[in-house]
Amino acid sequence: MKLSHVNKTFGSNTVLKDINLDFPKGKVTVLVGPSGSGKSTILRSLNLLETPEAGTYEFDDIKIDFAAGVKKDDLFNIRKKTGMVFQSYNLFPHLTVLQNIIEGPTQVLKQDKATAEKYAHELLEKVGLADKADAYPSELSGGQAQRVAIARSLAMKPEYILLDEPTSALDPELELGVLKVLLQIASEHQSMVVVTHNMAFAKKVADKIVFVEDGNILYEGDSETFFSKDNGNERIQKFISAMTFSDL
Amino acid sequence: MWKIIETSLPQMLAAGFKYTIPLAIISFAIGLIIALITALVRLSKIRGAFIIVKIFFRFYVWLFRTTPLLVQLFIVFFGLPYLKIKGILPEGIKFDPFTAGILTFSLNTGAYASETIRAAIDSVPTGQWEAAASIGMSRTQTLQRIIIPQALRVSLPPLANSFIGLVKDTSLAASITIMEMFQVSQQIAAENFQPLLMYSLVAAIYAVFCTVLSILQGYLEKRFSAK
Repeated sequence: MKLSHVNKTFGSNTVLKDINLDFPKGKVTVLVGPSGSGKSTILRSLNLLETPEAGTYEFDDIKIDFAAGVKKDDLFNIRKKTGMVFQSYNLFPHLTVLQNIIEGPTQVLKQDKATAEKYAHELLEKVGLADKADAYPSELSGGQAQRVAIARSLAMKPEYILLDEPTSALDPELELGVLKVLLQIASEHQSMVVVTHNMAFAKKVADKIVFVEDGNILYEGDSETFFSKDNGNERIQKFISAMTFSDL
Repeated sequence: MWKIIETSLPQMLAAGFKYTIPLAIISFAIGLIIALITALVRLSKIRGAFIIVKIFFRFYVWLFRTTPLLVQLFIVFFGLPYLKIKGILPEGIKFDPFTAGILTFSLNTGAYASETIRAAIDSVPTGQWEAAASIGMSRTQTLQRIIIPQALRVSLPPLANSFIGLVKDTSLAASITIMEMFQVSQQIAAENFQPLLMYSLVAAIYAVFCTVLSILQGYLEKRFSAK
């Protein structure tokens, strides 16, 4: 999965400036950076919730030239290959937890209900919510809702899961539960792209770290170098020390 | 007095069950279908020649919301027979009273309810569209399975309100010679010279009908909001 020369503007505001990035398979890529830097826009471009004006997007044998527009088939195939987890969960409130998870598999992948339900129960087991299958989203805590959302995206067996600040709306205790689930999924070599503000989590989970600011990529590489004191970039050191409260 | 009520109440109730209630239920059902189609057309993002269809539906909603229902009934029932076009419509458009009533009430309800449904669809957060898109659902699937079920839940109270309004508005059908409840009460009053009693009686029946409906509304709201 790879973006090349991608540009995106909202009105007169350029949010992505000639972005070139690749997202290795079977690895976890973490996007960090200040709010409004463009990292969420990069993530949302990966499953085409945003459409940049220029640049190309390659995913296996699909190649999209944003300037020429996105074809319906490509859109559909990209969406099938990627799963998305949102900051605000976005569970379907009128469906139970189980129905939320099997909606995609039964409606989009046309699986039969029994197969989809069987896998949904396995996923619920995995995220530690086996007993919540028949609950409605309004009956869940934020942490539980987000774990259901993770299960919902996994149910489509996507090649990549994209997570947009998955724990930003949670208090620390609930956040821990969600992060543990994500670490477990990462350990199974699920390809992931995560936007997060949680540096401890980023350090632990990332195979690759990308630092984005003002629509530019300031760092792209392994996590060890990124978090070491001598990464040679003052701006990044300042950012890390602020995010980890080390100067408090 | 009880004697008069005893003879007139059954006649009014019979008219109520024969005309008032069918008129309200059939018109509301057709009106809802029109409303849903209208709302979806007006919210659709298709451009090009389709814009003409959108303008047509907008015009329809505008027309029925800015003119009185009674006048609409008169135009459809008394007016359209005079819409004679040589070669195409030599006889004008004639409806029997009941059909004219259904047609007008449906179109009127459709115009108002389409605004309710449109607002309700708009009120579903964009996150729901995005979540559906992210699991690969098409726009049609998203509307059918994710957005409309949530929108209907939101629009239940205002739609129930419209239905109760419609039940009372069917009394206007008296003016186009439909023998519904109010028309019957007028006729009885003309015979027994008891207008106060007869009109109070018919008012009470409307009140009972509408009370039953609002109880039903409360029950439905509870059922759909529990989740």
